[in-house]
Amino acid sequence: MPKGESLGEFEYLVLLAVLRLDADAYGMRVRREIAERTGRDVAIGAVYATLDRLESKRLVKGEWSDPTPERGGRAKRRFHLTGAGAEAVTRERQELASMMEGLVFPLPRATR
Amino acid sequence: MNPPLMARALLLAVAGDDQAEFVAGDLHEEFVFLCQTRGRRAGRRWYVWQVARSILALLGLRMRSGEVAHVFAATALGVAIPLLLLDRLWCFVYSQIPLKDGLHRAPGFLAANVICAGLCAAFCGATARSLRRAVAIAAAAALAAGFALWNSAGAAPALYVCVILLIAPASSLMAWRRFR
Repeated sequence: MPKGESLGEFEYLVLLAVLRLDADAYGMRVRREIAERTGRDVAIGAVYATLDRLESKRLVKGEWSDPTPERGGRAKRRFHLTGAGAEAVTRERQELASMMEGLVFPLPRATR
Repeated sequence: MNPPLMARALLLAVAGDDQAEFVAGDLHEEFVFLCQTRGRRAGRRWYVWQVARSILALLGLRMRSGEVAHVFAATALGVAIPLLLLDRLWCFVYSQIPLKDGLHRAPGFLAANVICAGLCAAFCGATARSLRRAVAIAAAAALAAGFALWNSAGAAPALYVCVILLIAPASSLMAWRRFR
């Protein structure tokens, strides 16, 4: 796999959140999903910057939806995984599983 | 129920036109939800904090989309061209008046240059069909023009020459490549 195509940790989390949310994956829902499941309080700007990066790698695709009054009359940008995105998630999972294999959790305390 | 005015204005100024649409919408939606569940004060605090933490990421996003390059190009064009033209014009006028040639230019001349540069830059911004961007460009142009003129009158005329001779063609090229 070329170096530029590998996923960062946060990119992987965002991809998984998009996958979980399915049709309702937009910036704030992705942010909330990550916060609820990992306890990380991430900024909305960071989420959109990551989604933009993933879109430029063609792992997700964004689509505009109509403006709604509860959003102050502003439109929403929903994202969904592309075929390449689904492949990237699967590959990442396999790599992690492979690295985890044989390790016993919880790990003993490291000694100096 | 409206989000804090200053934070919203900052968000709209920092985010590009496209990003402002969905980021402001997302923040508004969550702000209303938080006001209903945790109170207005908590909602306002959350909104301001989110905007403050998102500034760098949104600027990066805008730069990747190429919009910042356009703003810089328009600003440089709006400053460099009027400065070049006005400076050449006034040099010629002064050279035609006995005893005036070689004199320092009056402060009024500098002010006129700055105002013209600001107006031209605002025009450049207005061509981008955004009043907000036009105001931002005009302010940036006025600052840059003031800085360039201050240097041209005093210690570092070389910087002024660089601004005039290098930035104008470079920014023209950038603008041309972007709108081609």
